[in-house]
Amino acid sequence: MSMREWLSGLSQASRSFAVRVPVVVALMMMGISIIVTSRALSRLEEGQTRSLEQLSSAYLDGLSASIIPAVVREDVWEVFDTLDRSREQYEGLNVQWVTVTNGSGQTIASSLPTSFPPLEPMPAVTMAQFSSGTSLSVDESTSEARMMRPLVYQDQSIGQIYAVADISALVSERTQAFSELVITNTLLTILLVSIGALFVRWMLHPVGLLSRYFAQGREGTMTAIPTEIVEGQSREFHDLFVRYNALAVAVNERELLASELAEEEKLASVGRLASGMAHEINNPLGGMFNALDSLRRYGDREEVRSTSIRLLEQGLSGIRDLVRSTLTTYRADQRPRDLTPTDLDDLRLLVKPEARQRHLKLYWQIELSQAVPVPAVPVRDAILNLLLNACHSSPEGGTVSFRAGLHAARFFAEVSDTGEGLPPHIREYLERKGAGSAPIDRRSGLGLWIVKRHCDELGAQLRVLDAGTTGTRLRLEIPLRSDVEHAA
Amino acid sequence: MPLKFGLTPVFLNNDIELLARLKSYLVRQTGRDVQLVQRRTYEEITGILLSGQITAAWICGYPLVQYRNQLSLVAVPLWEGEPLYSSYLVVPAHRTVTEIEDLKGDLHAFSDPNSNSGYLVTAALLAEKGLKPDSFFRDTIFTYGHRNVVRAVASGLAQSGSVDGYVWEVMASLEPDLTSRTKVIRKSELLGFPPVACLAGQAASAEVRLIRDALLAMQTDPDGQAVLSMLKLDGFAEETQSLYDPIAAKMQLVRSLAP
Repeated sequence: MSMREWLSGLSQASRSFAVRVPVVVALMMMGISIIVTSRALSRLEEGQTRSLEQLSSAYLDGLSASIIPAVVREDVWEVFDTLDRSREQYEGLNVQWVTVTNGSGQTIASSLPTSFPPLEPMPAVTMAQFSSGTSLSVDESTSEARMMRPLVYQDQSIGQIYAVADISALVSERTQAFSELVITNTLLTILLVSIGALFVRWMLHPVGLLSRYFAQGREGTMTAIPTEIVEGQSREFHDLFVRYNALAVAVNERELLASELAEEEKLASVGRLASGMAHEINNPLGGMFNALDSLRRYGDREEVRSTSIRLLEQGLSGIRDLVRSTLTTYRADQRPRDLTPTDLDDLRLLVKPEARQRHLKLYWQIELSQAVPVPAVPVRDAILNLLLNACHSSPEGGTVSFRAGLHAARFFAEVSDTGEGLPPHIREYLERKGAGSAPIDRRSGLGLWIVKRHCDELGAQLRVLDAGTTGTRLRLEIPLRSDVEHAA
Repeated sequence: MPLKFGLTPVFLNNDIELLARLKSYLVRQTGRDVQLVQRRTYEEITGILLSGQITAAWICGYPLVQYRNQLSLVAVPLWEGEPLYSSYLVVPAHRTVTEIEDLKGDLHAFSDPNSNSGYLVTAALLAEKGLKPDSFFRDTIFTYGHRNVVRAVASGLAQSGSVDGYVWEVMASLEPDLTSRTKVIRKSELLGFPPVACLAGQAASAEVRLIRDALLAMQTDPDGQAVLSMLKLDGFAEETQSLYDPIAAKMQLVRSLAP
């Protein structure tokens, strides 16, 4: 699958409710997750900070109270002993080290005496890490909380407590809470999205079913939805399915009616053709009987005999041509064969009676010198219908033109008349894909319906080139069969 | 009137069970109510002993010789069968020093300024070389407990310390993690074990006799043996003041340099 096809598929999927709803649910859940997670973490952080402040404050308060007398005496051991023992009392704080200095910044004792030896100045670098003015500062990068508390005795500053606590447990607790929230929310989102997807799929199932029945109907007769399926639907879809079934019955009846009308039209056409043919045959018959009568009476006279025989021959030739072309057109046992220029010439003979009846001028232009690989019978039938329609549409004394030829590997046939042009709904019907239902408001529509059905079979295209008030010009284009197909 | 028996945490840990058992033993053995009086330093306990506020007290050989004329021996503990012990010079285990001279400039931990093993022995050793602790060491601290000296040295707070050899050895069996972080670089000669003493004028009193008898009978009494077992001692014995003459000599040596 190419990227373009994939994107196209994605785009189509994104327009589906079955995709949209789970996506919206997912987005909403993600939004809620982000808000809830950040809120929970923020509350956790606030709680931890408050707890840390309380714990560090209690630690520093307790330590200062017990240490001040020893700091006043600068008793190294007492201070150390107190610091050492305080570690066990404040295990919850996880103090890494605590150092007590005197008023001049000299270490009295530290819980880490090797790093901060007694009676030596506290390293400036270390002191600088403690921000003045605040008793607690948190450094997340090192997972350390730094605590500082001035030691005041009788309103005199006698020293300072510096302490560093390891808060990696708190940070780790926060990280763990974050992970748990993310995992929980992700699982919850997946669950809800799956439920949403299944729910929407379940909800839209009747729509899909209806869509399939409509699609089947487009290809032919509309099928009614079985009663057990209709009865199994919710109230809304039950009503919809019932209405669909009613529609299916109506459409099928309409199709049946249309096909019956088409049959009638066909019979009427045959009748008109037969009538035209009878007229064509009848016309020379009068002359021929006259010729026979002349022969009977003056058959011994050479000039009369030759004239009468010529007249008889002409009349019989005309009748023979008409019968032959009719046979060629309507013979039932015809095998598929290619269209020849003669087939098109024959059409002229078939249309001629109709044209003559309406005093129409026929312009005929065949730009073919040999057979073209398109099926002869349906093509001729389609063109004949177009020509008959054009004859009907043209006013008395009007003109019907026919032109056929090859262009860009396609056979084309153009039929134009000098009628009042095509009504918009007929034009819309002609340009629409597929034969569908016939526009049965006008009888001529049935001829067009037959043409459209032939077009569907042939893969042909029917275009309206001109549909003004001074006439209509239609163009039928039929793709040539390939050699292989032709050979087959 | 209860018998009042003085103790300091310099020598004994504040072991509640031990004190309860000692008191219980003394009450039963003396037939009298007994009150155990504890003070933080030898100075304090010696002070209340000298002022007659208590019947007897477990003090150190050094206060005994300081107040030789005012105090009398009641009984002397036996450790490893002898009324003797020594003073240890200890340093952190990682140090490579071997002599006291190597400790110059250290922050040194003493246990008590009135302790023989926890101060006097080291001060006398320096005095033999004409030195004083204040000038030889960078600084000195008093931890008021032999166990605290070990803690101070083990933690690195002090670079060296003077500690009771008996206490260090007992700790080595009970708290090897702590003592293993220290090492002994010098053991002094054997000296008189910290004794139980009373006012000289009270030495023949019934109260002192009751206490002395109770202490001497300890090693033959099951309850007394339990107390001795906790103290890792063998018993108590009657000794003469001359046992503490070497300590008195050290005191004289140190005093000869003062101030």
